[in-house]
Amino acid sequence: MKKISLAILLLASLHAVAQTTVNSGMFGMLEARQLGPGTMSGRITSIVGVNSDTKVIYVGTAGGGIWKSTNAGTSFRPIFDKYCQSIGAIGISQKKPATIYVGTGESNMRNSVSIGNGMYKTTDAGDNWKFIGLDSTEHISKVIVHPNNDQIVYVAVPGPLWSDSRHRGLYKSVNGGESWEKILYKDEKTGCAELLMDPKNPDILYAAMWQFRRQPFSFNSGGEGSGMFKSTDGGASWKEITNGLPAKPFGRIAMALAPSDPKKMWAIVESKSTGLYISEDGGESWKNQSATMNVCARPFYFSTFEVDPKDAKRVYRPGYEFSYSDDGGYSFSGASGDGGWVHSDMHALWINPDNTNLLYLGTDGGVYKSIDKGITWTFTHSLPVGQFYHVAYDLQKPYRVYGGLQDNGSWMAPSAAPGGISNAHWSRVGGGDGFWTIPDADGQTVYSEYQGGNMSRVNLQNMKSEEIQPKQTSQEEKLRWNWNTPLVTGAKNSKNLYTGAQYLYRSVNQGRDWTRISGDLTTNNKDKQKQEESGGLSADNTSAENHCTIFTIAESPLDANMIWVGTDDGNIQYTTDGGKTWKNTASAYAAAGIPAGTWVSSIEPSHFDKNTVYATFENHMYGDHATYLGKSTDMGHSWTRIKHNDFTGFAHKICEDPVNKNLLFLGTEMGLFATLDGGNHWLRMKNNIPEYALVRDIKIHPETHDLIVGTHGRGIFIVDDISVMRNLTAEIWEKDVYLFPTAAMTLNNGQYGWGGPEVSGGWWAGNPPSNPSIDYYLKERLNTGSAEISIYDANHTLIQTMPGSKRKGINKVYWNLRGLPPKVAEGSTKMDGAGFTAPMVLPGTYTIELKIKDQIYTSKVQCVHDADNKDLSAADRTLVYNKAMQLQQLYNNINADVDTIQYYKTKLKADSNSKVNKAMLADIEKIRAELMATKQTSIFADEEKLREKTSKLYGSFCSMEAKPNDIQLKAIEALDEEYKQLNKKLKATLEKHLPKLNL
Amino acid sequence: MKKLILSLCAVLSLQLAFAQTADEIINKHIIAIGGAENWKKINSMVMDASIKAQGAEIKVTRTQIHNKAMRMDIAVAGMNGYQILTQTAGWGYMPFAGQTKAEPMTADDVKTSQDELSLLDEFVTYKEMGKKAEYLGKDDLDGTECLKVKLTDKDGQETTFWIDPATFYTIKQVQKVKANGKEVESVSTYSNYKKIDEGIVYPFSIGGDNGDIEITKLTINSTIDESLFKPSN
Repeated sequence: MKKISLAILLLASLHAVAQTTVNSGMFGMLEARQLGPGTMSGRITSIVGVNSDTKVIYVGTAGGGIWKSTNAGTSFRPIFDKYCQSIGAIGISQKKPATIYVGTGESNMRNSVSIGNGMYKTTDAGDNWKFIGLDSTEHISKVIVHPNNDQIVYVAVPGPLWSDSRHRGLYKSVNGGESWEKILYKDEKTGCAELLMDPKNPDILYAAMWQFRRQPFSFNSGGEGSGMFKSTDGGASWKEITNGLPAKPFGRIAMALAPSDPKKMWAIVESKSTGLYISEDGGESWKNQSATMNVCARPFYFSTFEVDPKDAKRVYRPGYEFSYSDDGGYSFSGASGDGGWVHSDMHALWINPDNTNLLYLGTDGGVYKSIDKGITWTFTHSLPVGQFYHVAYDLQKPYRVYGGLQDNGSWMAPSAAPGGISNAHWSRVGGGDGFWTIPDADGQTVYSEYQGGNMSRVNLQNMKSEEIQPKQTSQEEKLRWNWNTPLVTGAKNSKNLYTGAQYLYRSVNQGRDWTRISGDLTTNNKDKQKQEESGGLSADNTSAENHCTIFTIAESPLDANMIWVGTDDGNIQYTTDGGKTWKNTASAYAAAGIPAGTWVSSIEPSHFDKNTVYATFENHMYGDHATYLGKSTDMGHSWTRIKHNDFTGFAHKICEDPVNKNLLFLGTEMGLFATLDGGNHWLRMKNNIPEYALVRDIKIHPETHDLIVGTHGRGIFIVDDISVMRNLTAEIWEKDVYLFPTAAMTLNNGQYGWGGPEVSGGWWAGNPPSNPSIDYYLKERLNTGSAEISIYDANHTLIQTMPGSKRKGINKVYWNLRGLPPKVAEGSTKMDGAGFTAPMVLPGTYTIELKIKDQIYTSKVQCVHDADNKDLSAADRTLVYNKAMQLQQLYNNINADVDTIQYYKTKLKADSNSKVNKAMLADIEKIRAELMATKQTSIFADEEKLREKTSKLYGSFCSMEAKPNDIQLKAIEALDEEYKQLNKKLKATLEKHLPKLNL
Repeated sequence: MKKLILSLCAVLSLQLAFAQTADEIINKHIIAIGGAENWKKINSMVMDASIKAQGAEIKVTRTQIHNKAMRMDIAVAGMNGYQILTQTAGWGYMPFAGQTKAEPMTADDVKTSQDELSLLDEFVTYKEMGKKAEYLGKDDLDGTECLKVKLTDKDGQETTFWIDPATFYTIKQVQKVKANGKEVESVSTYSNYKKIDEGIVYPFSIGGDNGDIEITKLTINSTIDESLFKPSN
């Protein structure tokens, strides 16, 4: 009985699923364009290649998943888009290289580092992945697979950065990840950050333990837990190594051994006197070696040290910069600048074991390749893994996007460009770590900033910039600027420019003057303001730990005097009088179940009601990864927490659609989500956007209705025109088929022009469609029956029929605004362009008929003259159309004559020995050779006869967007005349020969 | 308590989802497409089809003897080209691209294209061809939660199929081909399934890299002139 009731429950739940609800699949066709940039990439965390096929390389990134190249780095494609995008380490079984283990969660423990959700495995070189546990580890620094057994794998887990955890340590699996054993563990504060295996004796392992911790306002690297360990029995037992090492406590230790002579070892040991240590006896004893600043700099962040696989004297230290040694680490030299700048801050290096001159380097700004052992480097322009913090748009046509990248400055690019958006379209507008990059409404100015509130006004005409950051006055405390200081313009009054330290500032003259419009809006907790002491064993205080600061500012789109401010220490305050008085609503959101003191990551005052406001909160810096989204409908007096089972990742941004108040988008550390019903049901956006993308910012363009998404690891995505999401109501999604109204189509050859020949290399994003699509909804995928769209004019004459797509949810079909091309006669020797084009239709109302199986659904579409085109009046358009149709008729006549000739040729050839047949064949073939090109044998030989000339002119008129000139019009007459003569000749020839024949 | 029941449900449904084995799925698929017996009666096929793009039409005729030879004739804008594949050789003549006579396929291409010579649904013959089937779980394909099955042949060549659990028809197939030093993925999508006189269910729309091919006529087991499988120029 129990079984039955369970089964009924199950059926009921299945039934609930079977009822149509909004889901990700419905919007699959709204495919996002990934804009890049590739010209500036992002942080790379791991690079590994396949020893037996060194063309195959895997690149793990800080927030952009894994990219695979099968051609030694000429091109890459993402292979991990359905999973966590922060990659800690990749381990390949070199014996069975299709088996790869991936540890998610980067271990370069900077303030902005993301988190992972465990281990994944593929056995088919990245096509399919399986989750294999260790889900609470958050950060993984090394994965090593046993060289002779792909089932044995070791995973070094530093573990959580922001909280205690018993999930730290060194793990081993002997069954391919089915189960894990923790083989080295210290305590809840100390993880395993480094792991080496002796390639000649895989039972010899070296591990470095690391005690570390971040708080929102400080960092500590080092402690009694840190230390160096060795095992000679595959990790069953360990001994600590101290001989020759400095006095404890240690911080992070980076280690390496020489694959060709594994007793030779190197270690950079962070301690009170951080230094390089060298061992000649398999780590039993160590000697200190003096080393450059670069070798020892920032050990918590630079933990990579590599040795040439064949030459134990060639040693590499990718760190703050790139250093190499030819004498086993006694002296170091730096990479040459020839060939261009190499991005600083390096975390990964793979050396091709077959050709050790060939190196791949992973930096904070992408992948570089060297063919001379690291002396010079070439940048890889095709990895769009930039880490944006924010995005913005302007109102240019096409509009431009703006944003700041982690460690890679501030950038802008057009959302569309002739030929599409390539690397060359990106321009840099600011340096440092880039954050808010905001265009001014004047179209000529952009505000950009780098870490700690350093902000400038940039003149886009000459790219000169003026520093505009407000300064401390004598009546004020030292200003506290967040690492990612807000810099925003007003949603109601775009002339208002806001920024905030602990106080809020407003400028009405582009940052030339500022008015402080608040007191200290933070908790001003002095215990959280000791940043000078941050770093632990190595001082590290780069404004990344600044705290008790304003983090988010939002002016109401309905009232410029209503301003909301959120702080990193949990205050959410607003004013309704332009800053004279402020009200703190922190206690109100805490009552809704959102932890007090939580970082307020975004605030979205509603476009529809002044009392309504949304906010996201994130608490990951206290070890809490829950998705906190709040809504208030009474101006912050009370809050409701909006929850959903599908949410993953801590929340960065909530965005309300300015047209449909029930359409909201939520961006988290692990995904982009949308709701169509004001927050009751949510779906994960998957349309060409990685399912667990680190979404930092979301904007909706007010004119193009594009969704603009800034990610921290995959650059910027644009979902062009989301109107269909606004229009999809419950009433529609219950229908089997629904044809949406189609927006008016402007008659032109596209908006963006020709961009020259194809871009050679680099990242490239296509343009948005030039015209609206014909959209329809299918409740289920169409597996049987066809889908077809036909267009008819006002007289119900068929203009064109197009195949329709058949996917579940929204389908989009694009009409080229033209009718059917003419038929081409048989016997051509070269492709004739006329067979692929037709004149653009004239303005008017057209009927769209969607045929799904045998059902027909109709709607209308307006095709309108392009009034922006001053070269073509409405009257010119009609003239061009009529002339194109005249040429099409001429073309058809020529082809009809050719077909006639072909007809007789076939007949005559049946008896080709006949003299009369031969005579006629020769005569008509002569005419055919005047009607069309018959001789050319190469595509590089242009033979032009009447048909080719007609085809060319027809093509010109079909694509013409200007008034035709006199000569073009006269040329039509000349072709007409030529045809008349040939046609007369053909008729005369037929009359001459046919009576003599018996056909 | 409610939580417990819910989690039990979740566990149960998870088990149901994973209880499917590759064999079960393949069996259901074969029944859905007309049964192995009907498929195995096919010796030859002539397929007339067309590809429409922006109003222009490309006509295609594919003539094939099962596991022996295949020829595809392509007519575009008054020009005619073809492609031939046999068990030992292959040729292409594409005058549209400027070719003036048939050019041979590389040995690698001939070898990796041999699967094309089979007229039967891959799942009807995979065992006798020595291929291994693996169920990879559910996968969202354009909004449809599909069953994903992979076939791996003796040479390690992999083809992945997305099967719609509502009909058990294949709706997408991705073949990974390593040839001529490069790795290429060939993607096909299938729809407009129709049952034909011979009892098999066949997709009359095949989507590929060059647009959708719509089949207009399918002739099974007619006599085929084998001289077609030699290049004529």
